[in-house]
Amino acid sequence: MPTASPNILVVEDDRETRTLIAKYLRNNACNVTTANDGREMVRAMADSRVDLLILDVMLPGEDGLSLCRKIRAESQVPIIMLTARGEDVDRILGLEMGADDYLAKPFNPRELLARINAVLRRQAAAQNVSTIGGATALTFQGWRIDFRLRELRNPAGARVAMTSAEFDLLRAFCERPGRVLSRDSLLDLTQGRSAGSFERSIDVLVSRIRRKIESDPQEATLIKTVRSGGYMFSPTVEAVTVNSQS
Amino acid sequence: MKLLDFLNLRNISGQIAALVIASIIAIHLILTGIFLVSRPDQPDPTVDRGHAQFAAAVLLLGAAPAAERTRLFADIARAFPKLEVESLPPGPVPAASDPEGLDLRSLHRRLDSSYRIFPLANEQDRHRIGIALPDGAMISAKVLPDQRTRPFWTSPWAVTLLFAIVSVTLLGLWAARTLTAPLSAIAKAAEDFSVNGAAAPLPERGPEEIRSVAKALNRMRERITTLIDDRTKMLAAISHDLRTPITRMRLRSEFIEDEGHRGRMMSDLDQMRSMLESVLSFLRNDRKLEAMTLTDIATTLQLVADQFADVGHKVSYDGPEHAMATVRPDDLRRSVTNLVENSVRFGAVATIRLKASADTVTIEVEDDGPGISDARKEVMLEPFVRGDDARNMDETAGFGLGLSIARAIVLAHGGKLSLNDRQPHGLIVCIQLPVRQPNRQSAA
Repeated sequence: MPTASPNILVVEDDRETRTLIAKYLRNNACNVTTANDGREMVRAMADSRVDLLILDVMLPGEDGLSLCRKIRAESQVPIIMLTARGEDVDRILGLEMGADDYLAKPFNPRELLARINAVLRRQAAAQNVSTIGGATALTFQGWRIDFRLRELRNPAGARVAMTSAEFDLLRAFCERPGRVLSRDSLLDLTQGRSAGSFERSIDVLVSRIRRKIESDPQEATLIKTVRSGGYMFSPTVEAVTVNSQS
Repeated sequence: MKLLDFLNLRNISGQIAALVIASIIAIHLILTGIFLVSRPDQPDPTVDRGHAQFAAAVLLLGAAPAAERTRLFADIARAFPKLEVESLPPGPVPAASDPEGLDLRSLHRRLDSSYRIFPLANEQDRHRIGIALPDGAMISAKVLPDQRTRPFWTSPWAVTLLFAIVSVTLLGLWAARTLTAPLSAIAKAAEDFSVNGAAAPLPERGPEEIRSVAKALNRMRERITTLIDDRTKMLAAISHDLRTPITRMRLRSEFIEDEGHRGRMMSDLDQMRSMLESVLSFLRNDRKLEAMTLTDIATTLQLVADQFADVGHKVSYDGPEHAMATVRPDDLRRSVTNLVENSVRFGAVATIRLKASADTVTIEVEDDGPGISDARKEVMLEPFVRGDDARNMDETAGFGLGLSIARAIVLAHGGKLSLNDRQPHGLIVCIQLPVRQPNRQSAA
């Protein structure tokens, strides 16, 4: 846990759900404040420091999406959106709204906790990664990884399917090119999103990523194995400055 | 029905009546024109109809006494100068025969056998023939062209017939075009009608009868669309609203002390959640479509296989490492996931195969389960039909939407989904997708 006990603000209009989320998070060492709608949220944010915001999309009055956009305009506080499935995930995570992550209702509370930790850890780590930490998309050898849309495109522009765990691992590599990363540190950087009993080892994830991005998975050139050390991401990584998505 | 209703030009009957009347008037105008130009009532002096003039002149000469013939020659020359009748010097009568190239049958009919016709030996004009009169005197005269030598298609009745054929043909074509074109458009539009309302409304044009049919069909179509929309909205609202209680229960289950109870409750909630998701994705499929984008579908299939392998199923991917196609990536993943879910429910081992060619990709999901009998194959593609009707709902059973969602997704890609038998037992679900142009949507 990056912060001893992070201050989390839950904005959710259903009283039962709000109380249950708060109770669950408190049991897991978080300081939780709650808000029923946008006005209460603004008041709560003025009152005390908020490390992370859990924001329901469907709110009375001003909805979660526009609240998210407003907050993003003035602060970098991490936001996890609670959505109904089928809502435009691209828009929520995309540049327009700028949420850090989302969960579809009904969600697994353990996954919510895992994502909270992952988002907080990522934010803490991003402050240590100087040049490309704040970028929303990176490129390496023609490949393009977009953190907002959570998608990877190959040099031909084709989308490459990845699981969340694979994506988070590749993201960790891309943000730290040319550095030897041990399995433990990789686990620490990626753990969270793919929490669950079926979590794969870093080695399995690396071999799956290699199969997707290496031209010859047997002779890996992008993600190199460092004997007894771990892995190293060898290509030059650049931040995407011009947004070519739209 | 009013008596003069047929004069209403917006009706089919009115249009046909107008066309018939216009055709009759046109026939009359054209025939009048032809008669005025060719004047068949005034005999053409250059034409000797049925050689009547010729025959009359010869008969006159034959009947007259020899002494009066000289005067008669002069009279005939004045009356029928074109015949150029002359007397020939007396001599032996040549053998009777028709000169070549002349049709003298009507002349023979008018002159009896005592008049013998013979060709002139040293004559340049082939129309001039010789005739021996009954008393042995010989004359020569020019045969004028008979009426019959006119080509028959210039005759007035032939013109009439031709005009009638042409106008009937045009009338037929016009009727076929104006009457059947809107009808076949209606038939096609009714055939194309799909509940997602993507097809355009029927064109309301053509004769009044057809326009009213089109209007009625369009209204029916609106009613059907509204009906389906209402049903969809209701189902979506129910599914949507169920999420709040499920979310609460999911949170509450975290506070259950008894591990066994909690596990069972969570798996029940998971089942409810996945059923809700399948209903919502089935409903959404008709309307909101994900954007098409160039995708490495080999990685999509690997990912599905990996995810099933991770939870302990024997699912493998067999195909190229990379294969590009323009698809809706999340929809395709959902579609293949549904198929593999069925495969691992009914079989022990499942294989996802990919074959890519220049214009199509073929995805096969194969299992070694019991398969589906031919009689059930079509039914299985319908929504809310489950393969295990006889069994009670167990932990893995859904609403029976998996296959129909998969098929709807494939159809929305312009592809095909078919169920095939595997030997010795099992099922192969085969998806064929068009590759499309890979250069258009890369920035979608």
